[in-house]
Amino acid sequence: MRNLRPLLWIGIALLGALAVATIALHRGEQINALWLVTAAVCTYALGYRFYSKFIAAKVLALDPHRATPAERLENGRDFVPTNKWVVFGHHFAAIAGPGPLVGPVLAAQFGYLPGTLWILVGAVFGGCVQDFVILLFSVRRDGKSLTEMAKEEIGRVGGLVAYASVISILVILLAVCALIVVNALKQSPWGAFTIAMTIPIAFLMGIYLRRLRPGRVLETSAIGFVLVLAAIWGGQWVSQTPSVARYFTLSASGLAMAIIVYGFAASALPVWLLLAPRDYLSTFVKLGTIGLLALGILAMHPTMHMPPLTRFIDGTGPVFAGKIFPFAFITIACGAISGFHSLISSGTTPKLIRRETEIRLVGYGAMLCESMVAIMATVAACVLDPGTYFAINSPAGIAGALPDKAAATITGWGFPVTAGSMQTLAQNVGEITLFNRTGGAPAFAVGMAHIFSNSLGGQAVMALWYHFALMFEALFILTVLDAGTRVGRFMVQDALGHVWKPLGRTSWYPSVLSTSALIVAAWGYFLWQGVKDPLGGINSLWPLFGIANQLLAAVALCLATTIIIKMHRVKYALVTLAPLGWLVVVTFTAAWHKIFDLDPRIGFLAQARQIASAGGNARLIFNNRLDAVVTGILVVLVALLLVESVRHWIAVLSSAKRAMTTESPFIATRLVEERG
Amino acid sequence: MNILRTLTAMLREIFDEAAFARYCRREGVIADREAYARFVREPKAPKVRCC
Repeated sequence: MRNLRPLLWIGIALLGALAVATIALHRGEQINALWLVTAAVCTYALGYRFYSKFIAAKVLALDPHRATPAERLENGRDFVPTNKWVVFGHHFAAIAGPGPLVGPVLAAQFGYLPGTLWILVGAVFGGCVQDFVILLFSVRRDGKSLTEMAKEEIGRVGGLVAYASVISILVILLAVCALIVVNALKQSPWGAFTIAMTIPIAFLMGIYLRRLRPGRVLETSAIGFVLVLAAIWGGQWVSQTPSVARYFTLSASGLAMAIIVYGFAASALPVWLLLAPRDYLSTFVKLGTIGLLALGILAMHPTMHMPPLTRFIDGTGPVFAGKIFPFAFITIACGAISGFHSLISSGTTPKLIRRETEIRLVGYGAMLCESMVAIMATVAACVLDPGTYFAINSPAGIAGALPDKAAATITGWGFPVTAGSMQTLAQNVGEITLFNRTGGAPAFAVGMAHIFSNSLGGQAVMALWYHFALMFEALFILTVLDAGTRVGRFMVQDALGHVWKPLGRTSWYPSVLSTSALIVAAWGYFLWQGVKDPLGGINSLWPLFGIANQLLAAVALCLATTIIIKMHRVKYALVTLAPLGWLVVVTFTAAWHKIFDLDPRIGFLAQARQIASAGGNARLIFNNRLDAVVTGILVVLVALLLVESVRHWIAVLSSAKRAMTTESPFIATRLVEERG
Repeated sequence: MNILRTLTAMLREIFDEAAFARYCRREGVIADREAYARFVREPKAPKVRCC
């Protein structure tokens, strides 16, 4: 058997190469989605078996005999030695969010090829490596956070930049998440009703958990899930009953206000009442739906209708403006590489790891699964007819506000679609219209409903599948929103506590209310800006989010490279230096375009000038200038960190400075080797 | 069978049931309303959810 192993890996490599060649070289013919799945599975298998093993053995030198903080500091609360598969599930549930679903759907405007290749290469050589190394470095430092490690290893500048990056990315991320929900639920009484119902369902779950069945979270989540399904069913009745539907047919502004109020409530209310039950419910739905989508794709093996490359690689795309380089690489973050993951790899996960050698499975392996989710999202978007995809994702300001005008514009781009076919599709999924439903979530929901309805239940239940998909996305986007607002509130309280001690107390209500208001006002401002943006908001805010997220990844990789150099493994530093170099080039180029590009659809300053010369709204001019300033500040912060890090590297390499790392001293493990 | 056990353990950890069981063991209390109320109030690191 052992002798056959090399043959097996050669077979996997050949199959993977064939699959990648098929998706890359086919022109003019539609291909089956299973080619994408095969390419992904083979690439991930090879990456895990060979690259992650190389990193584990040569670069990081994982030591099975070294006690982890979960063992040394075990307290039954935060530090608990846990089975590797349990930690894997825990870590995956935390890193998998709406990002790997939305980014690939938006990037599909370039065709399926650029996004797919970036997801595969980015994950194997970037995202998985980042999650893996940060997790190990945190484990070797008693589970310290990214900002603490940056401060200790790179100095005060490193700590400050990491802190500022985390806060900025949180604010922009929350605004973008809220905007996606607004675009998905506006003028959709069915969707708005279903999501509105999840709030009383969460209250009920909270009270049930607290009073009736204390601690029975799985049972409570299952009950919540059944109630959510009932709410989806009820939503159909609501949408077909005009007297009720009008209460749930909300404008974008109305929805934005509702979400802002909700975000404040979720941050200020007791955790057990709203936030925790929503988190459980969302996780329950998320894990189930991702599994279901994978089964649906395997069972249906649908044909991809999107071409491998579209004409929009030239930067004139309607979904968002900008050329394939650098914009495809910042549009897809989660799924390829996401800086946000480094917060989780240096958060709860390192405190659960039982043995160093298990970090490879958790850090590298869980990110590979997340990348697979991004591939499935690409499939969901690309099984749609391109005309339908562009009709859903093009803002009214570009395609036209009226159905006939929008259909004519999109057909003129070379992607035939008619107002009639879109009307039929909208009726099939229970919507008033599907034109101009930007943000990625509705297109993903239509694609997912298309896959599900062809495998389970047929066309008759397409509307239910569509609203299930929409509810699933909105539910876990809102979970990111309330968990993120709370985390942001804690960070602000922590910082303000240095100025005046009572402000740092997380249980002092004046502080809770004022800091919640501060965080909600910050993301609420960007959300409002997105809602009022004539180009749909996503065009401005998603790239800003992509830049912020990838810059955070640059911070994490900078820290990782510094530690690798201090560990005297400079010959392997390319493992983190290469993705860092790529991210710096991509994000700095994207930031330059977003600030200074002369095309008003791309450059914030050019758009501000255009609005000013047309005598437009002063608020819109200010917003564009503000976006330019925010982008500039992020880039300057990361540039500062880079300079500081390079100074450290040179000092260590030239022996001008002793390489001091803050690693905890070696203590031998007392845990007995366990199988499985 | 082993897979099922691991899967259940994974779900119990994700959904904090295992954390509550540990709390009860640590504090030497039975799993009732009061214990759960105290467990919920216990200061914990905020859960970050990725985008």
